[in-house]
Amino acid sequence: MEIQRRDFLKLLGGASGAIALGLYGCRNSIDVPERLIELAKRGPGIESWKNTICGQCPAGCGVSVRMIDGIPVYIKGNPNYPVNRGGMCPSGHSALEMLFNPDRIKNPQKRIGVEGSRKWEKISWDNSLKIVSDKMKELRNSGLAHQVAFLNGNAQNGLMDKHFAQFMNAYGSPNYYSFPSIKNQTVPYNLLQGVEQIPAYDLLNAKYILSFGSNFLEEGYSPIYYTKIYSQLRDQSVERRTRLVQIDSRMSLTAANADRWVPIKPGTYAALALGVAYVLIREELYNKNFVQTSTFGFNDWTDSRGKSHIGFMKNVINNYYPEEVSKITGVPAETILQIARDLGNNKPSVVLGGQGAEDNTNGTFTQMAIYSLNALLGNIEKEGGVYFVDVPPLAELPSIVYDEAARSGLEKTKVAESNDYTYPLADFSFDAFTKNILNDKPYPVSVLFIYKGNPLFQTLNHHEFAEALKKIPLVVSFDSCINETSEYADLILPDHTSLEKWDAFSNVPSVGFTHVGIQQPVINPLYDTKNTADVILKLSSMIGQSVANALPFDTYEKEIRFSVEKLYTSGEGAIVTEGVKGAWLEYLQQRGWQIGRYNSFDEFWKLITENGGWWNPIRKQKKVEDLFKTSSGKFEFYSKNLEEAINNVVRKAGGESSENMKKVLQALNIHTEGDAVFLPHYEVVSIEENMPLYLVTYNLLTNRDGNSSNQPMMQELFGYTVHEHWNTWAEINPVTAKANGISDKNLIWVESPLGSIKVTARVNPGIMPGVVSVPFGMGHTSYGRYAKGIGSNPVSLMKNKYDKLNGIPALQATKVKISLAN
Amino acid sequence: MPKWAMAIDLDKCTGCGDCMAACKLENNVAIVDAEQAADDRVMLWMDMMTIYEGEYPNIKLKRIPKPCFHCDNPPCIKVCPVHATYKNEEGLVAQIYNRCIGCRYCMAACPYTAKVFNWYEPEWADEFKTCMNPDVSLRMKGVVEKCSFCAHRLQKVKENARADDREISDGEYSPACADSCPAEAIFFGDLENKESKVFKLSNSPRAFRELEDLGTIPKVFYLSEKE
Amino acid sequence: MNEETKNTVDIDEALYRPIYETGKSFYFAVGFLLFIIGFTLVVYIRQVYYGLGVTGMNQPVTWGFYIVNFVFFVGISHAGTLISAILRLSKAEWRRPITRMAEVITAIVLAIGGLHPIIDLGRPDRVLNIFTAGRLQSPLLWDVTSITAYFTASTVYLYLPMIPDIAKLRDRGGKMVWFYEFLSWGWHGTEHQKKVLSRAINILMVMVIPIAISVHTVISYIFSMTLQPGWHSTIFGPYFVVGAIFSGIAALMIVMISFRKYFHLENYLKLVHFRHLGTLLLIMSLLWFYFTFSEYLTGVFGAEPHEMDVIFYKFTGTYAIFFWGMVVCNFLIPVVILAFKKFKTIPGILIASISVVIGMWLERLNIVIPSLANPRMGLDMGMYTPSFTEWTLFIGGLAVFVLGFLVFSKFFPIISIWEIEEGRKESVKEVEKRVTSYLPDPANSVE
Ligand SMILES: Nc1nc2c(c(=O)[nH]1)N[C@H]1C(S)=C(S)[C@@H](COP(=O)(O)OP(=O)(O)OC[C@H]3O[C@@H](n4cnc5c(=O)[nH]c(N)nc54)[C@H](O)[C@@H]3O)O[C@H]1N2
Ligand SMILES: Nc1nc2c(c(=O)[nH]1)N[C@H]1C(S)=C(S)[C@@H](COP(=O)(O)OP(=O)(O)OC[C@H]3O[C@@H](n4cnc5c(=O)[nH]c(N)nc54)[C@H](O)[C@@H]3O)O[C@H]1N2
Ligand code: SF4
Ligand code: SF4
Ligand code: SF4
Ligand code: SF4
Ligand code: SF4
Ligand SMILES: [Mo]
Repeated sequence: MEIQRRDFLKLLGGASGAIALGLYGCRNSIDVPERLIELAKRGPGIESWKNTICGQCPAGCGVSVRMIDGIPVYIKGNPNYPVNRGGMCPSGHSALEMLFNPDRIKNPQKRIGVEGSRKWEKISWDNSLKIVSDKMKELRNSGLAHQVAFLNGNAQNGLMDKHFAQFMNAYGSPNYYSFPSIKNQTVPYNLLQGVEQIPAYDLLNAKYILSFGSNFLEEGYSPIYYTKIYSQLRDQSVERRTRLVQIDSRMSLTAANADRWVPIKPGTYAALALGVAYVLIREELYNKNFVQTSTFGFNDWTDSRGKSHIGFMKNVINNYYPEEVSKITGVPAETILQIARDLGNNKPSVVLGGQGAEDNTNGTFTQMAIYSLNALLGNIEKEGGVYFVDVPPLAELPSIVYDEAARSGLEKTKVAESNDYTYPLADFSFDAFTKNILNDKPYPVSVLFIYKGNPLFQTLNHHEFAEALKKIPLVVSFDSCINETSEYADLILPDHTSLEKWDAFSNVPSVGFTHVGIQQPVINPLYDTKNTADVILKLSSMIGQSVANALPFDTYEKEIRFSVEKLYTSGEGAIVTEGVKGAWLEYLQQRGWQIGRYNSFDEFWKLITENGGWWNPIRKQKKVEDLFKTSSGKFEFYSKNLEEAINNVVRKAGGESSENMKKVLQALNIHTEGDAVFLPHYEVVSIEENMPLYLVTYNLLTNRDGNSSNQPMMQELFGYTVHEHWNTWAEINPVTAKANGISDKNLIWVESPLGSIKVTARVNPGIMPGVVSVPFGMGHTSYGRYAKGIGSNPVSLMKNKYDKLNGIPALQATKVKISLAN
Repeated sequence: MPKWAMAIDLDKCTGCGDCMAACKLENNVAIVDAEQAADDRVMLWMDMMTIYEGEYPNIKLKRIPKPCFHCDNPPCIKVCPVHATYKNEEGLVAQIYNRCIGCRYCMAACPYTAKVFNWYEPEWADEFKTCMNPDVSLRMKGVVEKCSFCAHRLQKVKENARADDREISDGEYSPACADSCPAEAIFFGDLENKESKVFKLSNSPRAFRELEDLGTIPKVFYLSEKE
Repeated sequence: MNEETKNTVDIDEALYRPIYETGKSFYFAVGFLLFIIGFTLVVYIRQVYYGLGVTGMNQPVTWGFYIVNFVFFVGISHAGTLISAILRLSKAEWRRPITRMAEVITAIVLAIGGLHPIIDLGRPDRVLNIFTAGRLQSPLLWDVTSITAYFTASTVYLYLPMIPDIAKLRDRGGKMVWFYEFLSWGWHGTEHQKKVLSRAINILMVMVIPIAISVHTVISYIFSMTLQPGWHSTIFGPYFVVGAIFSGIAALMIVMISFRKYFHLENYLKLVHFRHLGTLLLIMSLLWFYFTFSEYLTGVFGAEPHEMDVIFYKFTGTYAIFFWGMVVCNFLIPVVILAFKKFKTIPGILIASISVVIGMWLERLNIVIPSLANPRMGLDMGMYTPSFTEWTLFIGGLAVFVLGFLVFSKFFPIISIWEIEEGRKESVKEVEKRVTSYLPDPANSVE
């Protein structure tokens, strides 16, 4: 805590007294607004601070909330929390506007009109829970437990995810999904290395950073974590400074801070990455030792059946020489040479791939191509390279004793399982899920829970999904505000906002150490809302003993305590305190990290809640078999996992034949043939539209995936970078602008075959010609007074296209045209 | 007399905009609605300048956070007809909201366009009124306001130091923007204190001030390799 | 005409006519103007209630129509007192039918102009802070002072030469004798009174010139005392004064031509008056061009980047049309019309004058807005579109001006009758004497 108790008591006396007096003094003047006087009447306030986790986005920053008389008035970064070390992003500051949002749902609501009609009726918690539990009991008793589905929108790295999963398992439904699924995003790492995690990057120790559209300072899984690192990098002296090169079609915030920005034609990262690999190989700048000892499929090889296969090297040498790559990507050959040489000569150097690379029809292969550069450089699990952090020693939830109903339910196929050849690697495919519900395949969905997600705003097929929602007899939304999706729900069971509730977050993806953050209420719930986790506990006890046994806690807080107790008993790591900074940290590291400072769990609990979390910056020494969990036990340039997966589909398609293979590859949107399919390679993006410009979308720090739009401060700040406020704009290069007769600040139509949006054109050189970039986040048709009808949603321009392997939406695979609007 | 000054390290600043949000929240700065924003009336005490340099594709883009510079020789206070903007004993350029007649002359005179005007009575939803910072007075329609260097925080720090009978230590008085900046790019302190970080940074060869030739003597230093 | 007035009919009867003859159209016009003014008042009260948000001003264009019109109206006010004082001082005999109108313009327009800064305030309720907490270092306060002084001086200067005429009206009897009785201050035209009056006028006329010059100089200081590009200029003082006189003469001629037409004063306001004033306007136009040229030439030559931004914005940006419109209206049109005798007819002069008034208004616009619209740093280029409120207040201002004139002409002669009389009686002789005194003495007296 920044301010000590003794201090604030003192200053409170002074400051508040002064204010009260001051106000009294101006009372005579007609100018003192009523509300000020109201404020003064509150009297001298008692100031206090409470640490919790931000919760405005999944990045998991620790925050300190300043309260006067128990009312939060300010939020700042928790200086001791290791993820963000006191830093914050704009959205974090507007958490108060989420808490005090006038459009919050104040009590459970039952829809009385048709879907989307916005007609609601207040209903008591008891009655609403009874409706839900009766229905669930009924289904379970008739052996239809699998017809209950659960979509968890935004809590993948929290205990909440496990909590929901446990509930659904014990209840007996295989249909629990996180969306967008982090597991989908780990597919490339799984294919190459057998790891189902998002890697962390040791930028601090790298000398050269090559980022393929990973906008880690602005988007990324934890932008503030990386901003802190960036800031540390800039403390280096100029000569020895780490160079950051950003490849992106637009000048993102990261590109703006990079030493060099390399514009590239959208969707062609893979070609560039392999072009870089070409130079590394040709000029022997790669790490031969690592490649020889720890990788598979670099050289040509022969399988057990005697069939010879081409290796990564030959594939690259044959297909990705710089001139060719230059043609594909629009990046000059000299630039490719230079990047590759810098990358090879400034070791340790590290290569990052972002979601921009992933959110495309060719995303899996693109991420594979990018990540394979790290293998070429021998970067894996090295200082200045990439690594995977350890899982924190949280207690597992009690193992479930499945009853018959649960067992039979869990045996059923998942609704989200694709029933054609697509999405063989997807953990969850929103596309298949939606289609299957619409077709009652393999069975109808009777109850759907949606937690903290807004698919009717976010997803490509949201029109379809709206239809799907209409088909489901009971849709239950756990949201804090009415948004596009909850308008289609039958019941809204309002959730606390992040400042009112208990939760625990562990290991935010891409953050470089093991950690657990404790979210706790800083204020009593303002309204008749409940933590969804507690609602689930309640439901489980209402449904029946076997479900209740799986979650034997009175409250979610107790469940968190239970989980956290193991952190204490494990003796690893430490509670986040002043110690996370500088000299202290080194001291601790030298001493082998402080263990067992706490006398009892109660003390541990008190400290962890006071300080906001726990962390362990020391990584366990990994054994090779833990590093590479592939069938070869090595990094697989040639992914046997992928081969296996595709062969499985081919088998499903009616047996292994080149005919069937062709069919499957076509369904999977793979245009390559032979061995190259299983190697990192460049796939042409499937954009069939005959439109001249690429549409590139991105997220701003002022708007997290669209959910900050109900916060007026964020709406005002929305486009602070270009002075656009409460407005969506499109950035275009002056060349593009001229060709289309457009000048800065003109209103323009951005039009795709699916529709058009009217936005303000901003003409600047920070984007490549032939590309239009539109920030994501506005254009709500619901979500409260501050969001509704403001700006435009680029998702409405996008076709329902996915990476057919891992089911990730192809957000960057749309072409558009632009024209002056009037 | 102390000389409070700010240094913003542009080599570290990413342009994340957090300082802007922190400032709005800390200082109860009115939230301007969509219609007003379309009329260019946003209320930012900390603004952001965006500068493109070079020819495509060799572009440099710099985002520069811009508070009030608390000029030592402020052109804005010279023109005020009623002494509603003035330099206080701490060298901070302050506004007296209750006296300002709203002529906006100081805005026209500020070479840095650092001030904003309350075109309408600031409005908040009732719920938001509960979470105002009680240390900062609210403004009314028709008056000018601007970054105060979070002067209310100085008030507290001073009282604290007085209670302990000691000097204010370097870094103790830190405005909201400096406090929250994730890149640790904003430094704040006393230029008169030769030991302070800000003093050292202000003497760095990387340091410069905006429009120095005007003789306004801004107390916000920027640090940049590229300058 | 009733009995009494018939008796006192004299050769300048035409000048009394507007006072005694009130047509329907007069009431209609007054009614219409009052309606506009009333509406304007409502609009203004609305502005006070809601705040300046109802205007088109914004960040960074924090000043708009109100300040433009302030400068413009105060500029027009130089028509008057200054011109009349200069003409009186230089003993220009042709001034006689003109001075009154000129002085009236000053008084009315200055009142309108002087109100504008108050209209422009975000907190008009605190306007008295200027007195309770005034800071003398602020150019705004210099303005308040000099405008008040000018207003006082010019109303007195309008009033004094009216006294003999008011006495005449009193003597003619009829309506409202008490009113004229009161205002005429016991004037009976005695030698002593004449002497005192003429001395008072002489003193005032000398005094009023520096005050008038100071007013527009100080207004220019509002801008030039800042460091802003396009404003921070040393020639702004004289530049503004020249511009003020320029627009003042033009406005005066428009008023003269209107009265000449509607009150059939062709006999008094002859072509020669307009030709003289036209020549003066031509000179001012050239002078104005000279100042404008030097102002921009030094700017362009200095090529200070921010200065250039503003200049380019004026030359080629959003404001180019207003800038070049100003050059056309203030220079091309008047010079072409006024330099050629062929065009220097009453309609020609009217066109030139209207053109100059518009041109000078554009000039004020060009000074106020572009500098603000091009902040040196930080913000994007600004954009200003006046709102309905601002247009209404502008039109309301014009309505007050017209109404002021109409009402004045209802109560007082708009041409100074006694001065015309005096001219008839004395000045021919006097001028002859004066001219003789300019001439070389007869040759025979040279030894
Ligand atoms: N501010 C902010 N941060 C967030 C979020 C948020 O909503 N707002 N959401 C969080 C979530 S849920 C996630 S999943 C992560 C995702 O964050 P990341 O993994 O970093 O991925 P994105 O930043 O979404 O990738 C988009 C970027 O790639 C660029 N790009 C897009 N297509 C192409 C292309 O074809 N070629 C090239 N060269 N560049 C391309 C875009 O310009 C954009 O800058 O961010 C998290 N962080
Ligand atoms: N064009 C385009 N589309 C995209 C993306 C993109 O970059 N571009 N990004 C994609 C990605 S990566 C993602 S992760 C998705 C994001 O998809 P979602 O997860 O659906 O996005 P959010 O907008 O974060 O929706 C969160 C909802 O949670 C609610 N909420 C907020 N706080 C709380 C709380 O405390 N409790 C509860 N119960 N609810 C709360 C809000 O009301 C909000 O409606 O969008 C995807 N769609
Ligand atoms: S990145 Fe911003 S919104 Fe996300 S957790 Fe951190 S502070 Fe909160
Ligand atoms: S908060 Fe810091 S890094 Fe972000 S814009 Fe402000 S100064 Fe720059
Ligand atoms: S930056 Fe502007 S407002 Fe701030 S002190 Fe300087 S002149 Fe005044
Ligand atoms: S707007 Fe207020 S502070 Fe600014 S000059 Fe006018 S009276 Fe002074
Ligand atoms: S110093 Fe305080 S008032 Fe000024 S910009 Fe920073 S937070 Fe805002
Ligand atoms: Mo995401």
